[in-house]
Amino acid sequence: MSKAAATFAEDRQRLELAALSAPAVIFTVAMIAFPVVYTVWLGLHSFSSTGKQSFVGLANYSRLLADAEFWHGLWVTIALYVLSLVLQLVLGVWLALVLFHAKRLPGIVRSLFISPFMMPPVVAGMMWLVILDPSLGAANYILQSLGLPPSEWLASPVWVIPTVALIDTWQWTPYVALIVLGGLQSLPPSVYEAAQIDGASAFKTFQRITLPLLLPTIVTATILRSVDLLRFFDIIYITTQGGPGNASNTLNIYGFRVGFEFFNIGYASALMLTLTAIVFGAVLAFNRLRGAVAW
Amino acid sequence: MTDAPITDAWIRRLNLLQLVVAGIIVLTPTLWMVLSSLKPSFEVTAYPPTLIFAPTLENYAQLTKTTPFLSYAINSLIVTIGSTALGLLFGIPAAFAVSWTRISWPAILTLAARMAPGTLFLLPWYVMFRQVGMIGSYTALILSHAVITLPIVIWVLLPSFDGIPRSVFEAAQVDGCSVTRILWRIALPLVASGVAVASILAFVFSWNYFLFALVLSNGDSKTLIAAAFNFIGEGSTQWGALMAAATLIALPPLILAALVQRWLVSGLTLGAVKG
Repeated sequence: MSKAAATFAEDRQRLELAALSAPAVIFTVAMIAFPVVYTVWLGLHSFSSTGKQSFVGLANYSRLLADAEFWHGLWVTIALYVLSLVLQLVLGVWLALVLFHAKRLPGIVRSLFISPFMMPPVVAGMMWLVILDPSLGAANYILQSLGLPPSEWLASPVWVIPTVALIDTWQWTPYVALIVLGGLQSLPPSVYEAAQIDGASAFKTFQRITLPLLLPTIVTATILRSVDLLRFFDIIYITTQGGPGNASNTLNIYGFRVGFEFFNIGYASALMLTLTAIVFGAVLAFNRLRGAVAW
Repeated sequence: MTDAPITDAWIRRLNLLQLVVAGIIVLTPTLWMVLSSLKPSFEVTAYPPTLIFAPTLENYAQLTKTTPFLSYAINSLIVTIGSTALGLLFGIPAAFAVSWTRISWPAILTLAARMAPGTLFLLPWYVMFRQVGMIGSYTALILSHAVITLPIVIWVLLPSFDGIPRSVFEAAQVDGCSVTRILWRIALPLVASGVAVASILAFVFSWNYFLFALVLSNGDSKTLIAAAFNFIGEGSTQWGALMAAATLIALPPLILAALVQRWLVSGLTLGAVKG
């Protein structure tokens, strides 16, 4: 093959490869990149009820800073995020250790543990709505038969956030556990053998050896959960719609309602872009952390 | 794998006990949902709740009689299968090209789209689809759900394509095979199991997705998930039908997930964990 023919073949191949990823890229740009730019534009405008738009600069953002409902939404989002994440990580690592030491996991057991997070969050919301009903639900019946006071659960402004966190934890802890289990299974057994020879206790082995080695996996699980938790929507929309009052009005729920219930498109765009910045900020921060704890 | 340091028999039993407790916590709410869906309507709201009852399918019958449940289900199937197919159509060649060239930005672009809150695109989509009169159309729903399925397909298939030895492709190139031909004739059959896992995960997450259909569907094109919201308003007297609806909506993803459970975890973490 001559040199010219070789470069021609190379060019052709490069072109073919570009053509292969083109549909996915064009689709994503059309469906995402363009709408995001449009959202930025919307966020700089105000729309009257007759549909007339006017450029308002950063007014939507300064309104956001003065909006008590925004700060409340941010607080609810962060409280729900931290509570759910901590519960899911602690219980997930525990469950992963239990699964790890069980050695053989029959398919039926694995299917059981993936069932919560394979069902739609909407369904999880529906079923917990019935279980947690303040007057007729099974949860309060169990509390009462144990001699404990019943709870208002989702109907209580104080308990709604912990309750939603509990539902999400029920749904996603097995997911965290399976990720951590993958990390456990990839640890070199020689490390344990050395610890055993040194006579380290089980707890010490976990604290000094297993946990540090697992950190990258735990950070991975944290990133994957953070993305979902910071934009919490489905379970809340199905169970409380942000209530009672505004007690569970996360930023995502608030932005949705501003946009699609109050049709305040400019302000909703500013809210959604702010939430997006928070999500990506968290992902980037944890990604750096993952680099720092890698071994 | 060699034994971890803890080997004593009673610790093993303690571990098994913890496994059983975790299993019960995971299983009970789902079981309660299914049980409630099978209770006669006067018993579903009985307090204290009953465990022993004569099971009946009246809730399921009521659901199909009083709501267009079947047509919601058909809508869900159309949107889910359509968006999964679109995700595969765009995702398979893209994953192959990324794996071949090691130029990863197209894959990262689709993943970033998946990480942003859905409400971010929903506003402009709503405005745009309304302008062209596509609100409530299957096309709008399938396109929006393909945003969910595309990154799943790409990121599940990337490690599969990466796993094919380069020499296989080089041999084919020597024989005069074009890159596109290599993908469809040689690479794709080799990653068939990966395609199966990707399809099922894409199906499950498209089926489960709530937000887009909530806004972009209307009375005629409402998906099951978006319609679920309508079942709730009825109050506690309708608990039986509500739980019947919940059970039926959860069934397709649960059955599919059980089929591929062994390969699911590495697919779900987008390759972050090699299970």
